[in-house]
Amino acid sequence: MQKKVIVIPCSGIGKALGSVSREATYEVVESLRKGVTETTCLALVTSGDEETLQLVKTNKCITVDGCPLQCAEKNVKLAGGELAASFRVVDTLKENRKLKPKSVTFLDRDGQELAILLAKQIAEKVDELLK
Amino acid sequence: MSEYLQTVFDKFELRVHKEYHYTEDGLWAKIEDGRVRVGASDYLQRTGGDVAFVEVIRQGSIVERQAEFGTVETAKTTVSLLSPISGTIEQINDMLSEKPELVNSDPYREGWLVILAPRNLEDDLKMLMSADQYFELMLRKLETEQRKLEVR
Amino acid sequence: MVDLPEKKVGIISCSGDACVEGTISRVATRLVLEKFRPEETVTICLPLFLAGGKEERAFAKYYPTITVDGCDKLCAKTATERYSAKPASSIVITDLTRNSGCSRSGRRKLDSGALGLAEKAAEMIAKEVDQVLHYWR
Repeated sequence: MQKKVIVIPCSGIGKALGSVSREATYEVVESLRKGVTETTCLALVTSGDEETLQLVKTNKCITVDGCPLQCAEKNVKLAGGELAASFRVVDTLKENRKLKPKSVTFLDRDGQELAILLAKQIAEKVDELLK
Repeated sequence: MSEYLQTVFDKFELRVHKEYHYTEDGLWAKIEDGRVRVGASDYLQRTGGDVAFVEVIRQGSIVERQAEFGTVETAKTTVSLLSPISGTIEQINDMLSEKPELVNSDPYREGWLVILAPRNLEDDLKMLMSADQYFELMLRKLETEQRKLEVR
Repeated sequence: MVDLPEKKVGIISCSGDACVEGTISRVATRLVLEKFRPEETVTICLPLFLAGGKEERAFAKYYPTITVDGCDKLCAKTATERYSAKPASSIVITDLTRNSGCSRSGRRKLDSGALGLAEKAAEMIAKEVDQVLHYWR
């Protein structure tokens, strides 16, 4: 079975950057690196779902966190996942200070643009990991 | 006995350090051996959002009370930092360039912003609020926020 | 001393990235928070809750909660029961979507059908909030 890179967003529901983490992940797994990446629910990793744990332990993982609390990175590490890289949305925001998403539920234009930029960075990392 | 006055709003615990002085904007000032350490209150960091950048004027600069000495840029907005006292910037918290999130995670200790050598401390202190006064102000602000939700 | 309202309900939604029902769960929860019951509810961030977030867990322990799960893995419900207290009410989105003909491909951007389901779910959650607060008061 072909190895894939598993991209896991925090998807934090309280902050716009949580929505950005989710959107960036979808952009990678459904568009930029479709076929060689997939995503899974962080909650399933943390709750110890057998199938999910098997997935993160046998494939390289990239986490995408919406805030400095870094729940995705911490929980994937704790679960024994093969954490190959971690991204923080706030770091992409620092490089693109004008793109400040205002809404959480449905990302506005700034949020979507920020997600695309982050997705491109993640996609580059995916390429490195799959070499 | 706790060193904080505290309240809960939604799921968030909001604290006010009992020994500090405060501006209405939510900056705190702590007197330390004749120097004044300045930071952001819990309420300010909570309402401001996750801090991405902290920028302050350079060490050695002179500031007047209520003049801008820097900005905190969060994921939501940019907050202007107005000095609680007049004086000279003696030290800047270098940790904040690498870890601006300290303003959120530890606003009353490691998340401090600057240390000032005061010029007119006695007079400037009279213009600041005590912890009790700031706590009451914070509660009134929270009540206003709650009322805005009810009106929506 | 200002009298702040004490009764709020915490809504805990699953993260649900892998399926459209997860997105519906998330959107429904946000609609309750922003539109239907803004002053009566707070949202609990599930990843932070699972990671041991002090405020999230304390709130869920002492205040009533409603969990919203996208599928029958019930991540939000199970976590709430394990780490805080039994939720006052639990909603599973697949119960709504099962016969609705909702497209499974729309997990990223909900189509009009799925958005309609999210609104319907949000209304259901809002009614549960009212029930919970009625009995709690």
